[in-house]
Amino acid sequence: MKRSHQETYLEQQEAPSMAEYGKKLEGSSVVGGDDSIDELLAALGYKVRSSDMADVAHKLEQLEMVLSNDVVGSSNSFLNDTVHYNPSDLSSWAQTMLSGLTYYPDLDPTRVCDLRPITDDDESCCSSNSNKRIRLGPWCDSVSSESTRSVVLIEETGIRLVQALVACAEAVQQENLSLADALVKRVGSLAASQAGAMGKVATYFAEALARRIYRIHPSSAAVDPSFEELLQMNFYDSSPYLKFAHFTANQAILEAVTMARGVHVIDLGLNQGMQWPALMQALALRPGGPPSFRLTGVGAPSNREGIQELGWKLAQLAQAVGVEFEFNAITTERLSDLEQDMFETRPASETLVVNSVFELHPVLAQPGSIEKLLATVKAVKPSIVTVVEQEANHNGVVFLDRFNEALHYYSSLFDSLEDSAVIPGQDRVLSEVYLGRQILNVVAAEGTDRVERHETLDQWRRRMGSAGFDPVNLGYDAFKQASLLLALFGGGDGYRVEENDGSLMLAWQTKPLVAASAWKLAAELRR
Amino acid sequence: MSEKRIGMIEKSNNKRQRVTQDRPEFSINDHHDVLVEILRRLDGPSLCSAACVCRLWSAVARNDSIWEELCFQQVSPRPSLSLRSVVSALGGYRCLYFLCIRPVLARLPKLLWTRDQLQLSLSLYCVHYYERLYVGAWIGDAPPSSLMFLRKPVNVV
Repeated sequence: MKRSHQETYLEQQEAPSMAEYGKKLEGSSVVGGDDSIDELLAALGYKVRSSDMADVAHKLEQLEMVLSNDVVGSSNSFLNDTVHYNPSDLSSWAQTMLSGLTYYPDLDPTRVCDLRPITDDDESCCSSNSNKRIRLGPWCDSVSSESTRSVVLIEETGIRLVQALVACAEAVQQENLSLADALVKRVGSLAASQAGAMGKVATYFAEALARRIYRIHPSSAAVDPSFEELLQMNFYDSSPYLKFAHFTANQAILEAVTMARGVHVIDLGLNQGMQWPALMQALALRPGGPPSFRLTGVGAPSNREGIQELGWKLAQLAQAVGVEFEFNAITTERLSDLEQDMFETRPASETLVVNSVFELHPVLAQPGSIEKLLATVKAVKPSIVTVVEQEANHNGVVFLDRFNEALHYYSSLFDSLEDSAVIPGQDRVLSEVYLGRQILNVVAAEGTDRVERHETLDQWRRRMGSAGFDPVNLGYDAFKQASLLLALFGGGDGYRVEENDGSLMLAWQTKPLVAASAWKLAAELRR
Repeated sequence: MSEKRIGMIEKSNNKRQRVTQDRPEFSINDHHDVLVEILRRLDGPSLCSAACVCRLWSAVARNDSIWEELCFQQVSPRPSLSLRSVVSALGGYRCLYFLCIRPVLARLPKLLWTRDQLQLSLSLYCVHYYERLYVGAWIGDAPPSSLMFLRKPVNVV
């Protein structure tokens, strides 16, 4: 299984795992003094002095080059027969391997190796040799502008790809467009030869960088809405992210409306309404009978008929399960244009819920809009507000920081799609296209065009807090349901639900990707 | 003397045969309600095998109450009547079993089957029903299925 291993011998894997990509090493930044053991690597079982880091990285890179160029038979025998007496000492190990593989004189007394080329049993090793990889395990550092402390994670060809991507982004940051242009072409060719998720991610990032360099800003209006719909449905079907979002939000809503006779849900982004069937079914089976259910869906003006049709379908479902249903559609170009009186709230007979799944972050594109929207939400006096957002900071001021964050985030996402292997190839491609559009927006767009302004849960907490909302704990039932849902998705245990101060996060290989939280009006405003 | 005796024995034999022929033989195929009761007590694989025995049994096995019993075999307390109406509106217990419950059980064999798993299966089933209602202008042949992730084999640790 792909996981953070602590083995120090080379292993054979099918495809490179995305979870290992971090940022480049800079030899200058150090934690705890020059001679201390690097704490991040120590957590994984390696002892490397911080002062040796650059040297180790260099050796590992050389080792990688040697391995990729080396003749099959001799290196394989060496790798299999060598005994390493102190495997956690990366520095000496790398030296050992380098010396052995390049037939340098043996200076390391701890090394025992066999330099005789062995000619038999080599045919099976031919293909596997190219897949050998030195795994150092996944970790990443949070991005901050002062201390970009990062570590090199080695991949056979992936290292050059990541280096080139980051170098290109740096060049763009420094407005050195000719260098950036050359680098982006290099990235493109490297990405084409890289198999697996990394190659695909790199291709999208390269395209986004190219657009940024040549100032071809992708316009979000140029998208065919039915294609958009297809992509979203496909993403819903193929991966657990949207399902997790919907099921967790529904659980929070159910817990908030247990005693209500009428429920009114305002969905800030109706899309295909995939969230509401499950809620209606759960309401239908509520002990004591179902409440009446009113749904107000907000959508884009271009999709007015689609939304009406959606309302009809939901009404059909409601009739089938026996829930009294009412549907309203509100179309608006921008969420911040919503006004309190558009919603026709009936506070006497209905419990109001406001739901937003991945709909708040585009509002950040216009300054001042999010405050206006949250004020409107506050004004309708909801009993609960459910918010699900991507767990990443793609809204930083500095382009390079955004780029690094996005690279890490989407690498994890693509890796999760690759790994679960549940979905047929064509559907996976569609999911990748869906994510690729987001990548394009994060990297290439600017100003009001850049709508994929993801922010972390902590940032949203601050915003909701200052807007006058208090957090609501999501509870154990939501956690259980989410864990069960993710267990069904397989992926070899890669998906995890994590609890974060009352909110739930979906993580892939310990990297949180989606955060779900619930909010209520702050105490003094509830009266 | 011996012929008379033989004749008497033959007569008594015939009488015995006639008696056994007069009593009707019991055939399960004539009693569908009994068959339903028996099938209700079967587990999943056995029930599926039973449904393949012959056309009659296959038709009888389509009785939804059999599958309802199967779905709730280990769940307590017993679900309410409202659940039955909801499930039959969404397509019935048999479809629920094949689309959701069987793949879930196969995916997580060590799982204890409780109300939570049943509730999740129901929610997924409901989404599936809605998705079939909501057919847009799809590019491609097959309409999408939110349960596709349950159908494909996957490596589960």
